[in-house]
Amino acid sequence: MRKVLVSLILGLIVALTWAVELVFWTAPNPLQEEFWKTVVAQWNKARPDIQIKVQTIPAAGSSEEAILTAIAAGNAPDFSENIFSGFAAQLADIGAIYPLDSFGADFQKLIETRKMKNIIEGWKIKGKYYVFPIYSNPMLFWWRGDLLKKLGYNNPPRTYNDIYEVSKKFADGKTKFTMQVVVGRNWWDRWFDFITYYYAASGGKPYIDVAKRKVNFGDDTGKQIVQFIYTMFEKKYTAVELGDNPFYKGVILGKITGPWEVNWAKETFPKVVPEIWFSAPPVPDNYPKDKPVYTFADSKGLVIYSTSKYKKEAFEFISWVFSNAQNDALWIEKTKMPPAREDLTTNPLFAKYMDDKFFKAYCEFVPYAVPPALIDKTIDIQQAMTTQLIEPLMYLKGKPLDILDKAVKEINKLLF
Amino acid sequence: MSNCSKLGKKERAFGYSVIFPYLAYTAVFWGYPFIWMVVLAFTKWNYFSKPQFVLLSNFLRIFTDSLVIRIALNTLNFLAYLIPMVLFASLFFAMALTKVKFGKTFIMLSFLVANVSSGVAYSLLFSNLFSINGPINRLMDSLFGFTIPWFSNPQLAVFSICLIITWKFIGYYGLIIYAGLLSIPQSIYEAAELDGADKKTIFWKITLPLLNPSLITVTVLAITLTFGIFTEPYMITGGGPMQRTTTFLIYMYDTAFKRIDPSYATTVAIVTALVSYALVMLIRKFFEKEVVFV
Repeated sequence: MRKVLVSLILGLIVALTWAVELVFWTAPNPLQEEFWKTVVAQWNKARPDIQIKVQTIPAAGSSEEAILTAIAAGNAPDFSENIFSGFAAQLADIGAIYPLDSFGADFQKLIETRKMKNIIEGWKIKGKYYVFPIYSNPMLFWWRGDLLKKLGYNNPPRTYNDIYEVSKKFADGKTKFTMQVVVGRNWWDRWFDFITYYYAASGGKPYIDVAKRKVNFGDDTGKQIVQFIYTMFEKKYTAVELGDNPFYKGVILGKITGPWEVNWAKETFPKVVPEIWFSAPPVPDNYPKDKPVYTFADSKGLVIYSTSKYKKEAFEFISWVFSNAQNDALWIEKTKMPPAREDLTTNPLFAKYMDDKFFKAYCEFVPYAVPPALIDKTIDIQQAMTTQLIEPLMYLKGKPLDILDKAVKEINKLLF
Repeated sequence: MSNCSKLGKKERAFGYSVIFPYLAYTAVFWGYPFIWMVVLAFTKWNYFSKPQFVLLSNFLRIFTDSLVIRIALNTLNFLAYLIPMVLFASLFFAMALTKVKFGKTFIMLSFLVANVSSGVAYSLLFSNLFSINGPINRLMDSLFGFTIPWFSNPQLAVFSICLIITWKFIGYYGLIIYAGLLSIPQSIYEAAELDGADKKTIFWKITLPLLNPSLITVTVLAITLTFGIFTEPYMITGGGPMQRTTTFLIYMYDTAFKRIDPSYATTVAIVTALVSYALVMLIRKFFEKEVVFV
């Protein structure tokens, strides 16, 4: 007995001495942090030889900036989450991340186990898989059902014309506006306005032809969208500044958001939350009523950095987490975001979460949620979309079609 | 006999040991970045691959970069607001300080607090203070029935940022001018009064000309400051609206860390430094006057 105990202790000492420690950066989101801390604690207990240290992505303008700064300074973690496809393309381009298909059959097995064979195809960068997608958040419009009811509506507006009609009854151009049309001035805000409107109006067509490196949104659909944005600003149905929490304060009737806002909204504005209605993004008036409306998928995943000495160990951890569907259930519980798996509505394990009206609404749109273009110049392109397209429309600087035309030319130059 | 041979071995060793930390510090934190800067300016590098020599292409790119031209115009716009605002505010502060009899140190320190405050913290504070439904606009709305788009109107955004920077530097620059005011001999004022000069004449003909060194110092500092504006627009406007508050420093940061192009960012930094230096020299050449109190 004594011998066994001694050898066990010795074994433990040897294991701890030889243990490797991997640094894992998680999204700066308390709910996601909670999930990762829980699973990492379980892993660290089960695998004393491979210890994971969880750190939140350092504070910066965006996670991308923090990661790029760390790479530049030679302080990149071993692996991190919160990576969107365009950023992964940029990182893959400079050789900063490691292709996961290098793990061969183990990677394929993981994809099959997690039921994400089709999803992973959307993440192929130059024939390789660099990202393991964790979740896919369809962007939906939230509407103030209570205020719309008072205006005599039983459903949220569907088309641009519907929105103009509601605006005539509600917006006064000073303290009340119909909806938040433009989300912000950061490059990533374009995912949640123009790109979302384009996916919705075009039936999910890519806004950039990645293979030809050409802009697609200069077409008729794009023209309808710029006209809509311009009209909303011109008629003062929306404004450049709407103040803080305009949706919850009743300044606006509608806004686009993702499931990450659900828990916060429930805690901060418990009286408003039960009154919320959901809808797909607005579409042009000629969009068929029976055709599904597509939206943008805010989808993020995990990557392993090329500089890591422990790539195999990192992959082992990723496999361990995502081979177990219970961990995806835990993810839903903690974050309310739909995991990037294809069996969400069919797997009985996730059935109970469908009782939550928010989660159900988001899950229903997963099949119609399109991720961003896999282009290495995402930040430049979307910054140009902000300055050449969105801001001129917001400030009514020129005719909408001329603005679009100029923006398309500028962005094509960037892509060339 | 040379100075060197006058010194003993021990003294020379002591001398070297005293200057060594400084030399080492300079080599590591100045020499190495300087050499790396030169390397980067003439190469293309993306943090991972080996830098590739590209001759002058980074420099040539600046002349075809429309954003650089936009930023140069923005910088002029900032200068046009900031220099008069800073000069007037700090001169007013300094002159007011000369009239204060009690608690002078407390007032000086109170104004200096702004100068040592965290840029991020006060940017967030001002951003909320001036937001469309912030306290200032709410007050304006209740008093006059209108609001001011402090940060969403392109021209007002530049002005608002200059207002914040002026608030930050009024204490520091004010003290420089205050020191200048104190150095003007009282006898000159007395002589002017005896000659029958009124307050206005004294200010324009004596105080202002004799303050030239302090005013030039403040102007030079404000120019270098303008070329280095970063935190306020980065935190409050993100360089917008319509790119009007994008500064050279924001562009360098974005180019290096968002576009993964540290080589071009370095080149922009070099050109910016040269332009700001040239502007400072111009200001000194045309406006600096030697002031001697006899």
